[in-house]
Amino acid sequence: MTAAMVVMPITVIEEFHLAQLVDDFVELLDGSRDDGDPAIERLTPSPYPEDPDAAAGFTHSTRDDLLDRRLADARRVRSTMDEFGAGIDALTEEEALVTHDVLLSADHLDAWLRTLTAIRLVIATRLGITSDEVATTDGRHDVYDWLGYRLELLIQAADDADPA
Amino acid sequence: MTTPAAVPELDEVTDLRAAPMEPWQVVVWNDPVNLMSYVTRVFRTYFGYSADRATALMLAVHHEGHAVVATGPRETMEVHAQAMHDYGLWATVRKAPQ
Repeated sequence: MTAAMVVMPITVIEEFHLAQLVDDFVELLDGSRDDGDPAIERLTPSPYPEDPDAAAGFTHSTRDDLLDRRLADARRVRSTMDEFGAGIDALTEEEALVTHDVLLSADHLDAWLRTLTAIRLVIATRLGITSDEVATTDGRHDVYDWLGYRLELLIQAADDADPA
Repeated sequence: MTTPAAVPELDEVTDLRAAPMEPWQVVVWNDPVNLMSYVTRVFRTYFGYSADRATALMLAVHHEGHAVVATGPRETMEVHAQAMHDYGLWATVRKAPQ
């Protein structure tokens, strides 16, 4: 791949909240995967929902392999972000609102796109978003909408950076 | 390994011939979460489709609820469906309608 680096401008406070979401996602994938969590189910759909026989014979990749790849993606994403070891309270308001550039190589880019998408799928499952009609009364929708906005910006930057 | 003693039955030969002729499909289904720009990008970068074709497929998923995004041998279609799941898209595999 000779694709150019993708530049993702982001404020420190946004990066902090994003890092927290990625940490939560890593925790989810690191935990018990077999308790019927609908969010985990959504990340690992059956290719043969109406054909149990074919589904049973489908051995190319197990559910765990797929979740392991999500976990590897999420850790790769987290590694490109600030540690935030001292927490956000260590920053002044002015420092928190500074915009800086996160540089993403082509292989990190896909991990970012997949991870932001997967986190949105998890939040959507938690919020019970099942149609295009999105209710606006629940405050958690703000996080979901903001994540969609960050993802949209990243897709635009990625599309612009493509050779073709 | 031993040398097979029996000549294959004729109908077994027929089965082997017929198997690769039967195309399978990857179907991507609409969901309220994934962004249209994202779905288009996945079709374009993963399958190598042109921007126009990827956009048309995305719009078919969005408006018709689903679209066939690839057709071919079953095992290849299963690999594609897994890749779609890696990207968070909801994909299934089915035998192509005759």
